[in-house]
Amino acid sequence: MAARGHVQDPNDRRLRPIYDYLDNGNNKMAIQQADKLLKKHKDLHCAKVLKAIGLQRTGKQDEAFTLAQEVATLEPTDDNSLQALTILYREMHRPELVTKLYEAAVKKVPLSEEYHSHLFMAYARVGEYKKMQQAISAQDEKLAQTMFLPLAERMVEKMVKEEKIEAEAEVQLYFMILERLGKCEEALEVIRGPLGEKLTSELQSRESKCMMLYQRLQRWPEGNALASKLLLKNPDDWQFYSCYFDSLFHLIDQSWTEEGEGFHLAMTFVEDRIKAEDQKETRQLRGPYLGRLELIHRLRERGCPEEAQLGEPWDLMTQYFSQFGDKPCCITDLKLYLHLMPPEQHLKFIRGLGEAVPLGGESEEEGGSVFPEDTKALQRHLCVCQLSRALGLHHALSPEGKLRVIRDLKAHYHHGLKFGATALKTELQFSDMYCLMAAHVYVDLWKETGEESMAWQGIGLLQEGLSHSPSNAQFKLLLLLLYCHLGAFEPVVDLYSSLDAKHVQHDTIGYLLTRYAEPLGQFAAASQSCNFTLRFFHSNQKDTSEYIIQAYKYGAFEKIPEFIALRSRLNQSLHFAQVRTERMLLDLFLEADIVLSLEESVKSMSLTPEEDDIPWDTLRDNRDLTVLTSWDPRDRWEHRRASMEEECLWLRMRSLTLRLLAALTALGRAHQQQNSLGSENGVGDKASVAARLFSQLEQALQSAACLSEKRSQYPFLGPPSTRLAAALACGSCQCQTSALQLTVHLQELETMGLDESTELQTRICNTFKSLVIQLQEMSNKCNGDLLEMKDSRLKTQPSLLENLVFFLETMSVVLWVASQCAKVIRPLKASLQKKKKKKKDTNTATPAVVCGFQVLTGGLQEVLSQVLEHIKTQELGLTALKLASLTLEPHTQEEESFIRAGMDKVHSSYLRSLQELGDLLKRRAETLKTLKI
Amino acid sequence: MTTLRAFTCSLTVPQYGIPFYLQYLAHWPEYFIVAEAPGGELMGYIMGKAEGSVAREDWHGHVTALSVAPEFRRLGLAAKLMDMLEEISERKGGFFVDLFVRVSNQVAVSMYKQLGYSVYRTVIEYYSASNGDPDEDAYDMRKALSRDTEKRSIIPLPHPVRPEDIE
Repeated sequence: MAARGHVQDPNDRRLRPIYDYLDNGNNKMAIQQADKLLKKHKDLHCAKVLKAIGLQRTGKQDEAFTLAQEVATLEPTDDNSLQALTILYREMHRPELVTKLYEAAVKKVPLSEEYHSHLFMAYARVGEYKKMQQAISAQDEKLAQTMFLPLAERMVEKMVKEEKIEAEAEVQLYFMILERLGKCEEALEVIRGPLGEKLTSELQSRESKCMMLYQRLQRWPEGNALASKLLLKNPDDWQFYSCYFDSLFHLIDQSWTEEGEGFHLAMTFVEDRIKAEDQKETRQLRGPYLGRLELIHRLRERGCPEEAQLGEPWDLMTQYFSQFGDKPCCITDLKLYLHLMPPEQHLKFIRGLGEAVPLGGESEEEGGSVFPEDTKALQRHLCVCQLSRALGLHHALSPEGKLRVIRDLKAHYHHGLKFGATALKTELQFSDMYCLMAAHVYVDLWKETGEESMAWQGIGLLQEGLSHSPSNAQFKLLLLLLYCHLGAFEPVVDLYSSLDAKHVQHDTIGYLLTRYAEPLGQFAAASQSCNFTLRFFHSNQKDTSEYIIQAYKYGAFEKIPEFIALRSRLNQSLHFAQVRTERMLLDLFLEADIVLSLEESVKSMSLTPEEDDIPWDTLRDNRDLTVLTSWDPRDRWEHRRASMEEECLWLRMRSLTLRLLAALTALGRAHQQQNSLGSENGVGDKASVAARLFSQLEQALQSAACLSEKRSQYPFLGPPSTRLAAALACGSCQCQTSALQLTVHLQELETMGLDESTELQTRICNTFKSLVIQLQEMSNKCNGDLLEMKDSRLKTQPSLLENLVFFLETMSVVLWVASQCAKVIRPLKASLQKKKKKKKDTNTATPAVVCGFQVLTGGLQEVLSQVLEHIKTQELGLTALKLASLTLEPHTQEEESFIRAGMDKVHSSYLRSLQELGDLLKRRAETLKTLKI
Repeated sequence: MTTLRAFTCSLTVPQYGIPFYLQYLAHWPEYFIVAEAPGGELMGYIMGKAEGSVAREDWHGHVTALSVAPEFRRLGLAAKLMDMLEEISERKGGFFVDLFVRVSNQVAVSMYKQLGYSVYRTVIEYYSASNGDPDEDAYDMRKALSRDTEKRSIIPLPHPVRPEDIE
């Protein structure tokens, strides 16, 4: 901020010390200095703004805002004030106010190019593109297509004619304008003409642009010729194989080429590339060989028998393996084409490959396996193992067969460690994949047989793997998932942080954390992970805007639409919306009516029932569902849509719950307003909002019930299922919905009063009764032992933990509703008594709803103390549990210690969850005691 | 076999913060190239910039980041990406290409040597370490481009320099 101004204005001199204080972080002195200055120069607006910056930075946001608005309403046009306000608004995260500021300034000083430019940048920051166009050109409100782009086109055309276009960026911009106008022919002319020669920075920029245009213009002959030319130049550039095949097939479809001839052309082309590659002595490229498989795939899709002339897929893949089997990517390549083989060939294929793997005669145990002698052989062997898993051969085995596979994989894993004996901590072991795959087979067994010891052994193995290869992310991710499925979130915190997930990953893999933290009763950890995520999203909104502006400055015009797309991708992220919603709910569960009143909490979050901040129609699923390595045959792709549907529905229920809670806090206030102002209007609006939200929640609940009936299980490595099914099964959704319906009823009661609402009161009382019954049922579903040791086996019941969390959430909602009930009924009761006194009514019977309320609080107390008792028993039981006395199946000592370490982690995590749950429920019990009418 | 293309933001490269990537994309979009596998997996990427002054004869290309995913190693991908960055720098009329690498990263140092790079100077404590480890030195490695016919830009400096002395 210090580097400013050129001409010394006396005000600059006066303001200088304040700037300095602010720059040095001495906000207090800055405020004092500003006050001093303002005493002498009352209308030195900038000093006010600088004071506001000081206030903002010392946490006095409200004061700062008021002060800033005093200046802003004057619509200042001096540079100092404008710049200071810009800084202040940015720190307040209110970039939209900057646009207002410069809109006013531009109106007053219409000829200032500088203010126009500031306004343009301000629009760019808040993403108001339409207004950006206005800022640079006329005030006309027409769309880009009809006005701005053609205008731009004409301007550039004029420059072209006058031969004024020189810079590459200008050509690029011209190209973009034409392309966006849909003038592909003209764009193609520019690219192929002399102007196109200026596009030199980016490699192959002209070629890729041409290719894109040929495709859009469906000029297949040229497209095919270009693809073929580029492949001759670089037969390894994969994108042009698709271009080549696509364009050729289009030519056939449009009868440019006779079918047989066309296919023949493609086959010759690919085989020629292969011949050229075969003749090379060193470093053969994979492209041509894979291109052949791709061609078979495409021919088969079209039902062309000609594909047979290219060879048998299993034979070609065997050849591919013999050439590239020692590269780690061989499996990734072949996985794409395994479907070309009929299942009956699978075994033959794998056996054939197995024979081609050179294994030394070295056998460490009697009757044991033979092992690879170097890392290349290991890589080949590993590739065969991965292929057989990808072909589903592991899955088809009996449990005994699977255990044999595990033994074999583990032996290879341990043997292979010797190749990486000197590896650094940051390097992976050559044999890590064996370990990971063995863990996968353990998971298969666990899911198939329900035998929990398989999960424990899987955990033990992965922990062991991690000890040899501390930076293996796949080990960590699978461990994370296993712990979560066993109900233990505590070990996940360290695992995830050691993954060092950065930036975009908060959006793409953050779902792994947020799905489990709170639902498994680790509220502190849940808060923390929400905070990280939100910080990422918020800072990106700012950052992307800055770089959009930079891209304008540096002429990287092609990047601007990309940056904008990135920004909307983040803003519309499903995960972002979920974390925003869950963060607020979490805050309420942790604090509302404990630290702050519900009303204050809602206010501090600026939560209003009317406002829905979730972009439902444009929500984007940015989750990386393939982050965990999986060899399972084509499993995960199909589940994304179903999972997204489920996630959105759950989010809708959570967000409606949140908004209904906000509506709930309006109740007491409405009553006060009604008394003092007699304004029926406001109350009516509020009532209709709550009623509308409630009917939406009911609808969502219905769809949820339907969805959970037809819901299919996702695979272990697929998307995690939401909490929806469990929430329905334990009755949490239903009970919360009944409680929230009271929001609507209470509003009615508020307007009717106590003496004329017998029917309504009966309904409310019935809901009260039903709430107690429902909570009692939920409490019953929490009963049972979380962790049990039986016949030297460990048995966990993580669903009990989840049910406890649902109980806590539901109890909190019911208590908030009850507390608002008390607030509504109390004044009604008082006014009823007053009325009765006046009328000398001797009927002293307590109104039904008041009696009902007492029954409610009594019932709640009973259920709550049952659950607290249960938690206490569980805690005692867990503490007394001697895991060390558990005899494990025969393992090596090392293996056993890793398994035990895993068990200890789960044990400790359960204890922590129970403690956090117990603490929160105890505090809820405290608030229950104060609930009286 | 690889698809090499200009980096676009729709890809997720998580090594550095988004602002860092955006800064490079806004200034030197051509210097950001990614390699994609046929299945769409991200194989690796290179990111760099052009800097220096022609008058001082130190206008050059700089490799900021080069990264190849473990399962796509041993395919010569890093060499290919380096080659492309050198080609771009040639077109811009650079005198040389340079890069910084940890002195301890033997694998990388020997790879760059194979690609024709040599140590121009050592930069003392260039990499700051966390958790109490000592800061690590960097090699500033260079390869002359065709414009530097006498290969003057890569004559090694006799003494190591400190990070504050490099421009």
